[in-house]
Amino acid sequence: MVRWIKPWSKKRGDRRTGSRLLGRLGEALFFAALLVVGFAALLFLLAMYQLGRWPADVPPLGIGLGILVLVAFVLVGGIGVIYCVVRVGTSAERRAALAKSAANIDLIRDATATPQDFPNVPRDTDLTNSPGVTLAYRLPIVRSPAWRLFATALFCIVWNAIAVTFAIVSIGNHLRGSPDWLLSMVAIPFAITGIWAIHYFVRLWMMTTGIGPTSIEISNHPLYPGQKYEIQLSQFGRQSIRSLEISMVCLEEATYRQGTDVRTESRRVFQQRVLHLSGVAARRGVPLEDRCYVEIPRQVMHSFQSENNSIQWMLEVCGEAGRWPAFCRQFPVVVYPDCSGEMQA
Amino acid sequence: MMEPLISLNIRGHRRDFEPGDVLAAEYQVDAIGDDQIQAIESSVLWYTEGKGDEDMAIHHFERRLPSDTEDGDMRVLHRFETTLPNTPLSYSGVIVKICWCIRVRVFFKGGQDIFFDQYFQLGSVASGRVYAS
Repeated sequence: MVRWIKPWSKKRGDRRTGSRLLGRLGEALFFAALLVVGFAALLFLLAMYQLGRWPADVPPLGIGLGILVLVAFVLVGGIGVIYCVVRVGTSAERRAALAKSAANIDLIRDATATPQDFPNVPRDTDLTNSPGVTLAYRLPIVRSPAWRLFATALFCIVWNAIAVTFAIVSIGNHLRGSPDWLLSMVAIPFAITGIWAIHYFVRLWMMTTGIGPTSIEISNHPLYPGQKYEIQLSQFGRQSIRSLEISMVCLEEATYRQGTDVRTESRRVFQQRVLHLSGVAARRGVPLEDRCYVEIPRQVMHSFQSENNSIQWMLEVCGEAGRWPAFCRQFPVVVYPDCSGEMQA
Repeated sequence: MMEPLISLNIRGHRRDFEPGDVLAAEYQVDAIGDDQIQAIESSVLWYTEGKGDEDMAIHHFERRLPSDTEDGDMRVLHRFETTLPNTPLSYSGVIVKICWCIRVRVFFKGGQDIFFDQYFQLGSVASGRVYAS
């Protein structure tokens, strides 16, 4: 069946809808055209310059910008053509094997994200470089609330600066007796959004400072199936804790391209509650602290990381404090495969 | 042209392996003239299936040309072996699956190619299931 090109619609059905050969031919022609056009235009410009037929009214900045764009055409086209030629008659396996050989070069290997003995298991260097106070390691949080607070504050400042400028100009016009109604109409929604941004920032600020940071320490890392690990929880802040729970969680995460969008989906495939607290009154200056143990079940899948797919393990702390809405904080860990059997040295 | 036959066997007829095991396999190409084969590639690889875009990595790769054989005939039985890595283990999850296979790809003089996969299991981890909260 003939398939029509629909660039404005999302791709449906199979990922590949056309001939692989035609696709490669199209790519090669596109890059070749870029290369030829860029090269020819660049040659033409240089020839004009050499012959002294350069137009006098063209500014030097325009000429420089034109040369830069043409050089970019030549580079992108050239690299694209070389890439297409390399792919012709070369299997995906052979390309992957070449990439693997390159990755085995010492300098590159040291910089890769996975250890040599356990390919595609994430390195735990970033998780074990912070020693704990009572246990071996203090785990980092997935996304610090401070970053969210900073981003919100930045948005709040920039937006309200614009909104205030609009409001001052608009009010000034009204006071002078020459009102600009279009500006006033634009200023009102800007001001409303600015007030909402302030409200959101203040709420987030109070939540962050009110609930306080969470700290998780662990007795050993990386984790192995069948092994038991001690966990130390420290919850700072002045709020009484209505409920607090630590769970061991495993997520599958997949990234895919749909049309021009890149989407990521995740599924929770394992969750085990390891600690539950409720109704803990706040003591001034003293963090809430508790210890518990987590045992990784045998035969669970190890942590895995590839370009588009991953399996992530983490300790998740969820709770409700004071009169604030529920909060959830995640602390990644790396689970290695079960080493009770034979492993390749 | 009739499509040639690729016979690919894992020695010992095993399908389940543990990390560090030696995987030995042999393959043979039939129903094709000896002068029609340009190259044969054998690989041991894993790839992902599921919701995400496919990832693939090679553990073992071997490319043979007619000049690599004594009489230039690449149809005869060829054996190879490799020690399997510690990870990633075979896994059947909800949106991520990891599959291991041996792949033999035959390239013809005309530029076409065909391949055959033989699947096997590395390790024995439990399948993933959606967690219902």
